[in-house]
Amino acid sequence: MSFLWGMLWGVAAVMVIAGGAIVGVWWERKVSARIQLRLGPQQIGPAGSLQMVADVPKLLFKEDIIPAAADEPFFRYAPLAVFAPIAMSVAVIPFATGWAPFDATAGALFFLAVPSISVLGILFSAWASHNTLSAIGGVRAAAQMVSYEVPRSLSVLSVLVLAGTLRPVAVMDAWEWWWIPATFVGFIVYLISSIAEMNRGPFDIPEAESELVAGYFADYAGIRWAVFMMGEYGGMIAASLFGAAMFLGGFRLLPGAWGVVAFIAVGAVLMTIIMWMKWTFPRLRQDQLMTFCWTILTPIAIVQLFAAGVIAAWL
Amino acid sequence: MTEELVVNIGPSHPSTHGVCRMVTTLDGEIVRHVEVVIGHLHRGIEKMAENRTYLQVVPLTDRLDYVGSMYANWAYCRAVERLAGIRVPERAEYLRVIVCELQRIASHMMSVGPAGADVGATTAFMYTFAQREQVVDLFEQLCGARLTYNYVRPGGVSMDVPEGWVDNVRAFCRSHPSAMAEVDRFLFGNVIARQRMKGIGVLAPEDAVAWGASGPVARGSGVSWDLRRDDSYSVYPRLDFDIPLGSNGDCYDRARVRLWEAIESCRIIEQALDQIEPGPVMAEAVPRLITPRPGEAYDHIEGARGSLGVYLVSDGTPRPYRMKVRSPAFCNLALVPMLAEGHTLSDLVVILGSLDPVFGEVDR
Amino acid sequence: MAVDENRLPVPETVSDEYAPGVKGFMQGARSLLTGLGITASASTRKPITVRYPQEKVTVSDRWRGALQLKGALGRDEIDLVSAPPHEYNAKIDGLYRNDRLSPCTGSCPANVDARGQAFLIADGRIPEAYELVRERNILPGVLGRICHHPCESACRRNRYDEPISIRLLHRFAYEEYRKVAAERIKPLPKTRDQRVAIIGSGPSGLAAAYDLMSLGYTVTMYEREAQPGGALSTGVPSYRLPRDVLYGEIADLVALGLDLRCETEVGKDVMLSSIMRENDAVLLAVGLQDSRILPLPGTHADGVVGALEFLWAANNLGDAGVKGRRLLVIGGGNVAVDVARCALRVGATEVRLSCLESDQEMPCHPWEIEEAVDEGVIAMCSMGPVEVLSEDNQVTGMRMKPCLSVFDETGRFSPTYGEDTQDIETDVVVFAIGQAARLDSLVSGTDLLVSGRGQLVVDGADGTTSVPGVFACGEVVTGPGSAINSVATGHEAATSIHRQLEGRSLTEGRIARPVPVYEKYAPVDMEYVEPDRRRAVVTLADPDERATDFRPVESGLTKEQAMAEAARCLRCESEVCVGCTFCARTCPDFAIKVERTDQPGARCLTTYELDLTKCCFCGLCAEQCPTGALQHTGQYELSFYHRDLMTFDKGEMLRSDQGSRATGLDGITSPVCPAPRTGPGERP
Repeated sequence: MSFLWGMLWGVAAVMVIAGGAIVGVWWERKVSARIQLRLGPQQIGPAGSLQMVADVPKLLFKEDIIPAAADEPFFRYAPLAVFAPIAMSVAVIPFATGWAPFDATAGALFFLAVPSISVLGILFSAWASHNTLSAIGGVRAAAQMVSYEVPRSLSVLSVLVLAGTLRPVAVMDAWEWWWIPATFVGFIVYLISSIAEMNRGPFDIPEAESELVAGYFADYAGIRWAVFMMGEYGGMIAASLFGAAMFLGGFRLLPGAWGVVAFIAVGAVLMTIIMWMKWTFPRLRQDQLMTFCWTILTPIAIVQLFAAGVIAAWL
Repeated sequence: MTEELVVNIGPSHPSTHGVCRMVTTLDGEIVRHVEVVIGHLHRGIEKMAENRTYLQVVPLTDRLDYVGSMYANWAYCRAVERLAGIRVPERAEYLRVIVCELQRIASHMMSVGPAGADVGATTAFMYTFAQREQVVDLFEQLCGARLTYNYVRPGGVSMDVPEGWVDNVRAFCRSHPSAMAEVDRFLFGNVIARQRMKGIGVLAPEDAVAWGASGPVARGSGVSWDLRRDDSYSVYPRLDFDIPLGSNGDCYDRARVRLWEAIESCRIIEQALDQIEPGPVMAEAVPRLITPRPGEAYDHIEGARGSLGVYLVSDGTPRPYRMKVRSPAFCNLALVPMLAEGHTLSDLVVILGSLDPVFGEVDR
Repeated sequence: MAVDENRLPVPETVSDEYAPGVKGFMQGARSLLTGLGITASASTRKPITVRYPQEKVTVSDRWRGALQLKGALGRDEIDLVSAPPHEYNAKIDGLYRNDRLSPCTGSCPANVDARGQAFLIADGRIPEAYELVRERNILPGVLGRICHHPCESACRRNRYDEPISIRLLHRFAYEEYRKVAAERIKPLPKTRDQRVAIIGSGPSGLAAAYDLMSLGYTVTMYEREAQPGGALSTGVPSYRLPRDVLYGEIADLVALGLDLRCETEVGKDVMLSSIMRENDAVLLAVGLQDSRILPLPGTHADGVVGALEFLWAANNLGDAGVKGRRLLVIGGGNVAVDVARCALRVGATEVRLSCLESDQEMPCHPWEIEEAVDEGVIAMCSMGPVEVLSEDNQVTGMRMKPCLSVFDETGRFSPTYGEDTQDIETDVVVFAIGQAARLDSLVSGTDLLVSGRGQLVVDGADGTTSVPGVFACGEVVTGPGSAINSVATGHEAATSIHRQLEGRSLTEGRIARPVPVYEKYAPVDMEYVEPDRRRAVVTLADPDERATDFRPVESGLTKEQAMAEAARCLRCESEVCVGCTFCARTCPDFAIKVERTDQPGARCLTTYELDLTKCCFCGLCAEQCPTGALQHTGQYELSFYHRDLMTFDKGEMLRSDQGSRATGLDGITSPVCPAPRTGPGERP
């Protein structure tokens, strides 16, 4: 019975993320267009809003190309291996008082740990493509994602220390407004390392369009490519919502049902900020990225964690 | 020491600025060796010119450096004028200077922006393209074409400016420097872009001279050489302008030299618009079928990419016996292996972009 | 040059660095915020792309899109330039303003429609061609012999190879017209009761007479000599202008209704004042009668003659008293050359011609002096006369000195001479340095003003004199000039008279004949021109034989030659493609194929194909199209369902701007060429 419920929740999560990705792609195209003095999609639907709805069938019906030299099983299922962990991580995000789709006791740990499985999928796809550019992209992705797990986890830890629990629903119950200034530095670290986690600019080194064409998914087309993109947007949605909940108070910002609206709105603003940064900043180089992670972000995260620990002890 | 990996970059690749293939040997991320394979865009223009009349070659020169067609037009026409002894009216000379400085802006916009795109800042590309679009619109008003202008002709220019064009150019020259200052803050002030471009692909001044580099590539290394000033032609002696120079010779300097040249071009255009006077735009009595006496001529101008020279040999018939183009992009491109070795793969595309090759001119 | 305050100064070096240490770190951090600020502000600006259905991309007027033809030979006729005399200038002006005036018509002083003439001759409609020319040039046959043809110098064909022989086509049309003249000439109806008298039957007077007659006036013409024609009769040697041509054309004019009264000298046989009483307007077209003679020592001697007297004697008596004698002509103009060539014909043993100008600057037409030298005239250029040497009041020679330069820097006549003199032995000295009017007896008894220098006081633009109702035209107004120039002034005077008699202002709304400046053509290297593109050549009589008598030097064109020559006409600015193939020759990509047929009555552009797969949109073809028929369209979305559709055939090229094949619709059928005409006397 619980297996069936799990199935149902899984399908629902996929639908939510797919819908979110559709909206997200449209929004990103609009945001980037306006930043770049363009108009973005405008032909299908009002302001081009149905452009992505039209794109999905197109992607579904595109020829499923598998390169002759590719390792077929890995090549076929690597996109799922990337997407599934990210979709799972959405389940532990608390949407309303006392309610998360999957109210796990160690939910925060779940959120931080499960998506990092997707690095395996990226490695599969990179290696299975049998393409030098993909291989380089895959290796870059592995190094980057594993490294940025550290500051990301440390920054979330500072909130968990204040709350004294790993359960996201409980964290929300314990939330106080002064946590926002107290963990602001941690929030910045979380935001930056989340961007790096989801391979978005300015940290899109594994895909580096101008160097590696598209990195690990250079050889993908059609719906398999779309699954990669859904993974990227799913990651963005998950990180934005989780950040909005943990660091910015989520649904606690407004009372009652308005809280859920406020929570979604703050998540959307965070997503927009992530897009804004992507379309503003140049991309770092691989070595600069690693230096930035280990010599700047991680120490700052540790300092934030230490400060949070002191505050928690003092209280 | 890991096993070396050979990566083919191009000929169809987003950041090769055309169709160029770079066979790159990587040690991890480090470039150990680059071999630049050119010729994918070879159309035999120099050979085709031998079967065209002198006038018919002008549209061919459009297709040499398709980002800076006016320069190829002009360099070729200067060689023809030298060969056939044609005196160009002053108004035509001013118009040539104006369109070529506009072309310099358009061409540098095509280099400064992609310098941003090469390091991942695609938005800078769009900002410079917005400026380029204005120049191209001006060219469209002037001669009806946006890329292959066929405007400069032996003996002058093909037609006088349309009504209101001068005002449009002035308006553009007023707005362009501030737009450039914004791109400067946005791209060249950005800490990430600086980290990506500073100290990358350093070209020593003596190497620049030894390898025959010219234009912004040489000036980025501090080699103060500009044909507009040092082998002054046309009406440039009457115009007052500065030549921006770099001091490090890295990708950053090369790219930013172009940005400042694009600002300085506005100043040249404004002066030229002040000085230009009404008059004919075509030399009197240029025959339809130009038939120079047997002989040879070479003339060069400062193109957007450096010294662009055209060498013509006439055997007394209406068709050139031989045409040879001294292409700055070709000479500059030869620097890639030297500059890129020891840098990472990510830097390779930045270095290639900073040399601003146009493969129509490299391969001809 | 003042430094612009708003200018961004170029930095010493472009490689600016952040400050070291913490300050540099802060600069870096701030640069990130600056970047976010710039992108945020950019997102509020107006996008540079267009909102597609609402806004569309517009292209400039000069846009070099796909090409089209405005018209084609065989489908479209050209407009013949024809209008009543008083509206002709306005018509020419309209064409000129719209860039539709062909250079031949524009450069002709009388704006003769040479393009229309060639069109009609090539089509076999030769009498119509003659009548078209006669509308503006009352003596086509005469001018076909003697005109200095500025039209041919302006002919756009000069740019490609050689000009059309417009003058020879005039002559040919005249010769053909003579065969049908009797049936085509009907007296012009006299629709008005006003009368106009014209004094003098030279080209200007005749032109004015024809204009006024065609407007319905009754015209009386007075001529002093026994034969009409003015200077054409008395001055122009008959080897250039056979008299039957001149008198034949004047006879046509009489047949049209002109009342010509020869041997009637105004001022002697009939007084001008009485003519003024009897007529509503009087036109003085008396020309110049006196030769000017330089005031040099010795000019009173026997053997010094004026050019006009000499030519009159040579033409009318066949003997100017120089048989077996040596002759020196002073002057370098066309009259001087005429004198020299006539002198040979009336038996002078040695003829020299001396002028101030160098051989490059001689004011006569180059072909004139060339023919004269062929016949044996000795040209002595850059020589100035000093003194006529004489013995017993009989000329023995002329003292000359070298002339260094004729004009000063500002272009005024101001000759400078060298020191050493040279004596030329000669028996007769003819001064051909210009003519002057002789007006004393003419104006006696009237209020007409004559200036101190013996010139009639005339407003040159309208031809009005100091007495209302009296007008003047021709050389008496302009000074010595060409015949076609005199014709042009005749038209202007006729317009003035017409306005005066209608009671309208002479100047209001009147458009001065536009005089376009046509580009000078560079000489074309004929080595690269195919023989069938060259102009018709006529034979000149052998110089040694022709110099002995007054037979015509030049032969005319045959009908085949003339029609082929007329077919060479490019019909400039007509916007009708004549299939001249110069677009195909200019195309650097060999994308154009043009063919035409020249059968009379069925002249047609048979093929015009533009291969868009080859076209590089350089615009060279449209730029040099002489007719303006080939033009760029504003099309830029050149996409096709099939590659074959990318070759535009004649039908597609002639399609209007809307809906061409480029937008995906099917092509249209080419217009069919007309069938050859096989009427009587036509070639099959």
